[in-house]
Amino acid sequence: MATRVNPEFIDDLDRFGAEDVKMCYQCGDCSTVCPHADEIFKFPRKSMRLLQMGLESKIETTLEPWLCYYCGQCSEQCPREADPGETMMSLRRWLISRYDFTGIARLFFRSRIAEIAAIIIIALITGAFLLYYGFTGGNIGIYDGEGAFLPSGFIHRFDLTVGGILLIFLVINAFRMWNFTMLKNTSLKVPWWLYITEIWQFPWHFFTQKRYAECEQKHEHPVYMPWLLHLGLMLGYVTMLVLVMVFVEALQSGPEIIWEVHIFGYLASAGLLAGTIYFIRNRLRKNYIQYKKSHGTDWVFVILLTIIVLTGIAQHVLHRTGVYEWANYLYVIHLMAVVPWLLRMPFCKWSHLLYRPLAMYFAAIRREAVRRQETILNNYPVFVK
Amino acid sequence: MCGTNIAKVVDVEAIAEFARTVPGVALAKTYKYMCSNPGQEMIVQDIREHKLNRIVVAACSPNMHERTFRSALRIAGLNQYLLEMANIREQCSWVHADTKGATEKAKALVYAAICRVKFHEELESVSVNMCPNVLIIGGGIAGMTAALELADAGNQVYLVEKNDHLGGNLARVDLTAPYLYSARDLLTERITRVMEHKKIKVFLNSTLRELKGFIGNFTASVSGVNGTGDKTAKPEVVEIGNVIVCTGYKEFDASRVVHYGYGKLPNVITSFELEKMIREGNIRTKEGKIPKYVAIIHCVGSRSQEFHSYCSRVCCMTALKYAHEIKSANPGCYISDIYIDMHAFGKGHEDFYRRSSEAKTLFLMYEKDDRPVIHKAEPKDNCEMLIEVNEKLSGEHIEIPADLVVLMVGMEAREDSHEIARLVNISQDNEGWFIESHPKLEPVATTTDGVFIAGTCVAPKDIPDTVAQARAAAARILARIAKEKIEVDALFSEVNENLCSGCRLCNTLCPFSAIEFDEIKKQSHIISALCKGCGVCVAACPSAAIKGRHFTDLQVLSQLEGLLAV
Repeated sequence: MATRVNPEFIDDLDRFGAEDVKMCYQCGDCSTVCPHADEIFKFPRKSMRLLQMGLESKIETTLEPWLCYYCGQCSEQCPREADPGETMMSLRRWLISRYDFTGIARLFFRSRIAEIAAIIIIALITGAFLLYYGFTGGNIGIYDGEGAFLPSGFIHRFDLTVGGILLIFLVINAFRMWNFTMLKNTSLKVPWWLYITEIWQFPWHFFTQKRYAECEQKHEHPVYMPWLLHLGLMLGYVTMLVLVMVFVEALQSGPEIIWEVHIFGYLASAGLLAGTIYFIRNRLRKNYIQYKKSHGTDWVFVILLTIIVLTGIAQHVLHRTGVYEWANYLYVIHLMAVVPWLLRMPFCKWSHLLYRPLAMYFAAIRREAVRRQETILNNYPVFVK
Repeated sequence: MCGTNIAKVVDVEAIAEFARTVPGVALAKTYKYMCSNPGQEMIVQDIREHKLNRIVVAACSPNMHERTFRSALRIAGLNQYLLEMANIREQCSWVHADTKGATEKAKALVYAAICRVKFHEELESVSVNMCPNVLIIGGGIAGMTAALELADAGNQVYLVEKNDHLGGNLARVDLTAPYLYSARDLLTERITRVMEHKKIKVFLNSTLRELKGFIGNFTASVSGVNGTGDKTAKPEVVEIGNVIVCTGYKEFDASRVVHYGYGKLPNVITSFELEKMIREGNIRTKEGKIPKYVAIIHCVGSRSQEFHSYCSRVCCMTALKYAHEIKSANPGCYISDIYIDMHAFGKGHEDFYRRSSEAKTLFLMYEKDDRPVIHKAEPKDNCEMLIEVNEKLSGEHIEIPADLVVLMVGMEAREDSHEIARLVNISQDNEGWFIESHPKLEPVATTTDGVFIAGTCVAPKDIPDTVAQARAAAARILARIAKEKIEVDALFSEVNENLCSGCRLCNTLCPFSAIEFDEIKKQSHIISALCKGCGVCVAACPSAAIKGRHFTDLQVLSQLEGLLAV
């Protein structure tokens, strides 16, 4: 059965940031220099080709974009300035919007106004709700405990609710990703037990970001710096998320500092602050090829993160210095940024935190399944036509 | 020695040693590069000093340097035909690894040459008058360019065109690739100048009937008189010295490729049909709709085992030009360019290809001889046709929506090209293209002296190449006209009238139509200017009445004897 070419697809893709893919004439230089491309997962060339032809049903099955960590070597090599690295990035954006069943991701990637409007609305609702809650039952002058403006028990339930919503979206999207990449449109027979034997891949890649390091090995950066920064940032997010979801009571009590908990908070804050400064600096300087083209969503991410980090640190300092009223106001502002930031996650690039290790896991399964299939065919050539 | 080319395999000193022992040899020498200026000076010096009367040069092929050494003989005051070359490079050092054997063979060749050169006769070249008038067949861009070049230099030109207008195939084109100049602009200036030129006589609706004579002295009769269209009118006879054939090409008949449904599917058209639509400013489907999806298929009739194996050279850039023109006319249109390889070899071509990518032309590659197949689409498909193809770069079996399919038909030799070939006595290859006398060094000359070829009747080519060839042919002719007389090589055959029985066997055998029959004397006569000295008539003559000059029986037999004696 022939797959229908969609010549109009390339226009749609411009909005996701892949306006240069039209320039590709399939020389294959990009795949040659890519440290990650191999026999089974051929990219970026093949991905670029599917994109040019608009074979959506094929593209949605690909894991390749998640296996790319955008070192940018391909874009440097490209004789036609087709920017394969950025195209893979745009493909990840497109896949995110494909995995997302709500259509929100697609809207956000295509329209900055919609994205910013949604963030402001969520922020305002959050703010209004928190202020209403605070003023009806609490005292703006009390930070935690009896009569507090935003008591930690309430905040914990609030965090868990937001986290729950986030989780629902992520789980549904992850299942959709699984369906697209492992079940739909594939003739590959995957034995069920491979899902178990390869499960270690998910946490391994999640916590080590190993492939990122492999990418950079061939690059001219000193001592794995980008990898270390990326890992630090990722661990910063995860630590913060755990602290907020589990240990928020301990964090919020005070004014004395519970070092066993707070030390993690400080480390994570330092990591996030450093990462944010690094992001802004590189995106402004455009010094590495990865930072040459910033999609609108990248800037929204960086600005929100800056607000979160600064207000978080400020409210902490005010709380510890006894300026409770201002600490509470800043806390509200902090949460007004945190909630849209968290809820935005399934609909933006940030979701690669989940999709990348998942893709690595699926890729390992597929690789093993292909290997097994080939072995069978080699051992029983009579079945081969 | 030819540097080490000969000396590394053949022991040249041993050969010189051997030659000195042969009776009649006055002097035998070796030299590093005999063809170099010092080498030739040495020969000249030795001829004068030792009063030598025959020269043998054992070196490379006479094809390479016979002219060089002949001129050395002339300089030394010796008749240039008193030279013989023994080819000990191509026939010895290049083909043998065994030094001893190669040296022995070289000795034999040298000995044979010595035996032959003894019987060489002093011959004189013949010179004939050069008529400055030129006949040009074909009034396309090549013919007109050559005509203007020659006529501007003051020579009378007769331009014969089969159609009722000048311009040829280029007159059917809108813009030209890659710079998008208007073909009309290129042509109108030339046509006006040709029509008004005092020195150019244009025969429209006319064809060449007959060409008689030889270089510098042809007579041509042209039938069909200008304007009247009356084919029965008496042919006009013109005196000319040279001929340029620029008869151009015809496009491949697309209905021969059954996969494409040309002639059956209404919206499958050829490049020339699209060209017409573009010129009319109205690119539409047969139903009158503006096509949303246009597919362009390359290499229709070209680069295939079934039809023509050659590349037609202009279609790739023309296809990109169409993509550009269609998109300019209708910016909402999507263009799929279905090709085998993108041949963007010329000046500005690669940039043009790049610009087409920038304009989002979708390039799809198919395997040679695994052609796309065009089907009529269903109403639900929202397009007229679907093109199925195994896309090579992705490895996917795909179908491409199309409302209009443009077939890039290749170039073919004209069906009447064999008639022209016969009339002017030139050869054609198996595809019907006229053959040049050397594909690299003589691209516009033919094996018939005084008949030149230019443009797309030689092989597919683009406008700049066609114009370059036309001007090259004109330049060759101008150089000959400037000399007023032309030297004809003395290597021709002669009929001994005392022996000729008038059997006329040779008349039909001669591949150059160089033998005429004298009806009064009842004897055959060879036109020396036309004769190439091939020797067919010499071998065929039952009365041994024909002598091949410089290839007499005595010369050839003594060479053979010499070869076998060592």
